[in-house]
Amino acid sequence: MKKISLVLTTLLMAFSLFAQNITVRGTVTDATTGEPVAFASIAVKGTTTGTASGLDGTYTLSAPANASLLFSFIGYKTQEIVVNGRTVVDCALAPDAEYLEDVIVIGYGTTRREAKTGAVSTVKADEIAVVPASSVDKMLAGKMAGVSISSETGQPGSNSQIRIRGTSSINAGNEPLWVVDGIPVMSGDQSYFTNTNNAIAAINPNDIESLTVLKDAAAASIYGSRAANGVILVTTKSGKAGRASFSARAKYGISKLSNDNHFRMMTGPELYDFYKVAYANAGRNIDNYYDPSTPNKPMTNWIEEVTRIGKLQEYEVNAQAGTERGRFYSSLSYQDNQGVSYATSYKRLTGRVNSDYKLTNSLEVGTRVNLAYTENHDTEMQSLYYSNPFFGGLIIRPWTPLFDENGEYNQNIPENSNTNPLWNALCHGEDQWEKQFRTQAGMYLQWTPIEGLVFKTNNMFEGTFGEGIRYWGPDPGDTEGTLQGSRSQYVRLTTSNTATYSKMFGDHSLRVMLGQEAMRQTYASMYGYAPGVDANIPYFSTSVASSSQIDESRNARTLLSFFGNVDYNYANRYFFAASIREDGSSLFGSQNKWGTFWSASASWNVSSEEFMQGASDWLSLLKIRASYGVNGNNNISPYRAYGVYASSAYNGGNGMLPSSPANDLLSWELNKTWNVGIDFAFFNNRLSGQIDAYTRNTSDMLLNKQVPQTSGFGSNFMNIGSMNNKGIEFQLEGDIIRTNDFVWTAGFNFAYNKSTVLDLGDDEWMASSYDSRLRHVVGKQFYNFYLKEYHGVDPTNGDALFRATDPEHPDDESYYILTNDYNKARYIYAGSPEPRFTGGFNTSISWKGLELSVFTEFKTHNLVYIYEWRYLNADGNQMSMNQIATALNYWKQPGDTACNPKPVAGNATNSYANSTRWLQRGDYLRIKDVTLAYNLPQNLMKKINMKGAKIYVSALNPYTFHDVNWWDPERGMEGMGWGIYPHTKTFAGGIELTF
Amino acid sequence: MKKYIIALFAVLTLAASCQNFLTEDPIMSQSTELTLSDYNGLNKAIAGAYSPLVGSVWYGAFYVLDSEMRAGNAMIPSNTNFQSGRMMTPYYMTYEPSSTSGLWGTAYFVISACNNVINAIDNNAENLVSSSVTTADLNNLKAEALALRALSHFDLLRLYCRLDGSNGEYGVCVITEPQLPTDMPARASVEESFAQVISDLTTAEGLMADNYQRGNVNDKKATFTKTAIQALLARVYLYHKEYAKAADYATKVINCGKYNLWTADEYTSVWGKDVAGDGGEVIFEVYGKQANGYDAYWEGPSHMTNPLGYADCAATAQLTGLFEEGDVRGTKGVRGTDDGKVMFCTDKDQASGGQLWTMKYYGKGEGNATSTPDVSNTIVLRLSEMYLIRAEASVNGAGSTALADLNAIRAARGASLLTSAGKADVALERRLELNFEGHLWFDLDRTGGSISYSDADITRNIDASSKFWALPIPKSQIDINENLKQNPGY
Repeated sequence: MKKISLVLTTLLMAFSLFAQNITVRGTVTDATTGEPVAFASIAVKGTTTGTASGLDGTYTLSAPANASLLFSFIGYKTQEIVVNGRTVVDCALAPDAEYLEDVIVIGYGTTRREAKTGAVSTVKADEIAVVPASSVDKMLAGKMAGVSISSETGQPGSNSQIRIRGTSSINAGNEPLWVVDGIPVMSGDQSYFTNTNNAIAAINPNDIESLTVLKDAAAASIYGSRAANGVILVTTKSGKAGRASFSARAKYGISKLSNDNHFRMMTGPELYDFYKVAYANAGRNIDNYYDPSTPNKPMTNWIEEVTRIGKLQEYEVNAQAGTERGRFYSSLSYQDNQGVSYATSYKRLTGRVNSDYKLTNSLEVGTRVNLAYTENHDTEMQSLYYSNPFFGGLIIRPWTPLFDENGEYNQNIPENSNTNPLWNALCHGEDQWEKQFRTQAGMYLQWTPIEGLVFKTNNMFEGTFGEGIRYWGPDPGDTEGTLQGSRSQYVRLTTSNTATYSKMFGDHSLRVMLGQEAMRQTYASMYGYAPGVDANIPYFSTSVASSSQIDESRNARTLLSFFGNVDYNYANRYFFAASIREDGSSLFGSQNKWGTFWSASASWNVSSEEFMQGASDWLSLLKIRASYGVNGNNNISPYRAYGVYASSAYNGGNGMLPSSPANDLLSWELNKTWNVGIDFAFFNNRLSGQIDAYTRNTSDMLLNKQVPQTSGFGSNFMNIGSMNNKGIEFQLEGDIIRTNDFVWTAGFNFAYNKSTVLDLGDDEWMASSYDSRLRHVVGKQFYNFYLKEYHGVDPTNGDALFRATDPEHPDDESYYILTNDYNKARYIYAGSPEPRFTGGFNTSISWKGLELSVFTEFKTHNLVYIYEWRYLNADGNQMSMNQIATALNYWKQPGDTACNPKPVAGNATNSYANSTRWLQRGDYLRIKDVTLAYNLPQNLMKKINMKGAKIYVSALNPYTFHDVNWWDPERGMEGMGWGIYPHTKTFAGGIELTF
Repeated sequence: MKKYIIALFAVLTLAASCQNFLTEDPIMSQSTELTLSDYNGLNKAIAGAYSPLVGSVWYGAFYVLDSEMRAGNAMIPSNTNFQSGRMMTPYYMTYEPSSTSGLWGTAYFVISACNNVINAIDNNAENLVSSSVTTADLNNLKAEALALRALSHFDLLRLYCRLDGSNGEYGVCVITEPQLPTDMPARASVEESFAQVISDLTTAEGLMADNYQRGNVNDKKATFTKTAIQALLARVYLYHKEYAKAADYATKVINCGKYNLWTADEYTSVWGKDVAGDGGEVIFEVYGKQANGYDAYWEGPSHMTNPLGYADCAATAQLTGLFEEGDVRGTKGVRGTDDGKVMFCTDKDQASGGQLWTMKYYGKGEGNATSTPDVSNTIVLRLSEMYLIRAEASVNGAGSTALADLNAIRAARGASLLTSAGKADVALERRLELNFEGHLWFDLDRTGGSISYSDADITRNIDASSKFWALPIPKSQIDINENLKQNPGY
């Protein structure tokens, strides 16, 4: 009734008070949350009259009764409402979904997506926040075309290997540059003892607003001598004006070993039968070695015993608020990740404060402060140690009991050097750790003296302070242990200062940026070693052993840079950009301290052309881009350019000897990249994507070049090699269904990359420093397996057959002769661990408050080398180790093929030695993460005074399709890692409450 | 806009003042420049330059033992299962450019270390002298550097070049200045090589004070003194067939009063000492110790010649059968029982059926044959060689002391005295006295000798024209340096 009378009144007034100003009141709210929006702008269309909403979202305004009001606020779609004589006009602003997408962070600034000229990929926070992974780098796998994320190990807190458009360097690094809130930061493994401790893991993934990957030279060259491997820009969250909220999150999950191919070792009876055949084939009788009751003994599944269900828990609170003047975001988080192997764990505490405040209309300051504490525990892994549960746990025979007759951990395990890996992990695992404090503390000051001109100074202190211990307690019966300890500290200071001027005149838009940056980083560490410490007081002070030692290491590096760029566009149709950077580095030779890096790029927004307007109902965007640029890789250790003397002991004293030659010409590796691309969007942006093609030439690669020994040195570190990476990237995203209640989106990305080594200086090939079975070869890919060629089983007698060079066609690899003599087998280049295609699919379906999203990731054409099989599939050579179950498929009678050679106890034919026999195709399709979330309805929330509640369940690596006869196909970029902690699957559930 | 320009200027000024900002000197090591800028650094640079001498390719083992193997004094024992598989190349004479001695690199490394010091002293002498550093100090240092450089060039010359006068154009690369990695030196002639060695040694002799002795060392005789330089000069003149000068310098050393011949009674017990001490025969030696930066460890001579160690380097019957009864140099016994009493031993358990090993590298007792190898010093120059040099000079027409010199040694070894002394007597005496000290091969080389014998495993016929007298220069060096020529025959 009330409503009707109101309408009537309004109608009457509309007629009677035509063209007269009336007072309009109302409230501006957020359409999704119903919260009031403060500081929203309300303007009378076509006039300069306007006002802003108050903190409670209300406003009052005098306007003609027939006026149109424009409601606008940052992050919301502008809404136009006709007053129509009403005195109360409420407005529910809809958040502008495209607002965030449209602005992307690039080097030293932001750009609109449609204005970008380089190859850039972005990921937004909400795509990664709920995945139960320990660090942000882990969450990126498969999400962006051309960004390949891999890790050797599934251990909590471990480092990732990130390759953006392939591998380009042998002796300088291949990892991208990480830039957090505008400052290039330290990354990589900074631990001393534990297998791994990832610097980027110190950032709470939930604190990240967006992440941009700069892939080509046009985008990355502004970072000069550090840009060759691409740049990852991380922007952390800041408060938003008009929104205040407090959130609490909790997440709990479990993890277990991935094993989607049912990989397993033999059971006791299987192993006994295998041994029996092996002995028989050697003309021996198993009864002389094993009691016939052996297969009936109680059996132990060692892998089950040495692993457990891992646990993940994570808790976080964060708060944010903002007005037009000041904003803040802060969070506190705790994560505890207990690995599937006993004694492995990763704990992290982070605290962040981000604040921004407008001091005056032209002056703004802000801080970005992150503090983190991480604690890593592990045991001896990453190699075939007997104490490694992922080696010892495999080789111990099932009838060897876990406990001895006294109920103590069995130490009588001759097949594993009397090491009980579980006892070892439980007893020693707590004593191998790394604890680190990490700080990133930055402050900026921004001055806008006149419109369009911005001066900004951004300064950051970064520090990592670590302490590590590796303590080996006494073996049973002893009283003394061995202690190793470390203290390390990394400190980096960076100042980054820019002046930016942007101006629009007519159809011309121009932005000019000039900047300067300086960085100094120091490193210091102490390492101590003391055997013979008292087991009851296991510290250095109780050791009296003369072989105790202490070592110290220190270094420093500096970088000074000047840079600038220019962006210009005409009528949003033609875009040009150019950048230049001068980097001076302490790392390089005195004659090459300074280098110039630059890029130029252009794009043409075809869809904005007049002649395309007819297509605008189906074509939303069509843009063609091209770029070329030169950037560098300075990722080498300090002082390589210096001629250095080091001390050399002789005759009771310490003399000095030249230890490395001077290289005044030492310089960065140079990358020159061409990129062409197309951005497109159809049907009102329902379907969008991009295609990029690139070729990247790396020259001046740093290699050790042989020099005449008459100079005093055999080799010198010089810029001599070259190689190329070329590839194509494709990314497609689409809204398949979009209604108010139901949204279904899907995306797909894939990338092709091929590396070619062009020049290695003196050499046609070089053994990889990772493992000599991998070689860099001129004319071939970056990594190539170099192995003896295995042919298969001899169907007549069950021997292993190898291929040897055919003496009649020694130069033609397609000819070969067969031999059962491993020593005569020929070496071949057997393929590469580098994938040819990488990518991922993702899809997400939401219906009302319910949302399901699935990400997958794939790699193809990569080979992996299962070195462990040398022991675990040894054809009878290892008669005291358990063997993999598939070793049961061996030659039994003449005519058998496609099986293992027949087992012979004491086999010394080398059939199991390194050869192509252990290579497998490493292709996989991994369901990377699946998340089902439910947002409780708004009206329900309002009743209990909450803004939102979200519950979700999520799975990381729930299933992987692959053909590798192992737990998991991933073995790192080099495809070789052995004795590694396998990848795990994690299932987690969580809740997120917002007040 | 004005402010903008001011800001730009500020930035540029900052840049100008920041050149030092980009200079970060090494913290944990010392730059070459700094090391060579003061006396203390130069002194340490010479102390360090000695240390590669004890590396396994040089006096640390194989320069000496390989030449014994080639010359027929040593063999890989075939009747034991002790060997490690080392020393196959010298034993079977399978030298090739890709399988040859690595002395080339090590010796030129020492030469470069010496050149750095010599160059720094020559170019900066006035600034190096201070209230505590005299010109004499610098001269002594430079003399040591010159002597080490001469020894390095000379050892290269002996190993990679013909010493009998044939193939005279294939000498060593004479390097007397610091080199750039781009320098591609060619080989000097053998004559030019000798000239440089002699020039360095005579200059060093002139510069070094008579009583100069490097301080802060365990073994004083492991450093160059003036008499050590003179002793080396005596040997170089002998190799160069300047017999009068050779005799002259040998006499200087014999008469200097610092050394005396070991007696027959003490001869078997002088090996394996930690330091040579005053008196005795040792003039210059290389000091063995595991703490040395260049310790050869398992490949050190004491482990290679220990029948319970790697045992690759045993004595041949041709050598052990040369000694007459009563000559202390040929005494034989059992390792573990007769230690310090005899010069050749079989293994303790007689497992190798009487195979003998030299006791000259008996070891200092700082290890054993199983968990840690023992170490020993390697004698480079000793007094009896001076007598032998003078005797050889004499039989070649310089003086008439040959018989007296040989008998002086024989008397001190319990051997019968000779009644006449010819070239063959001198050569034989050298083999008896200096076996396993790395002389025989080079003696045969410089005198145009040959080798012909058979044992259980090999038949060796190396005549005077064999290519093997000059070992091949490593292939990698020929490949890199287009000006470097390989020896004929490889």
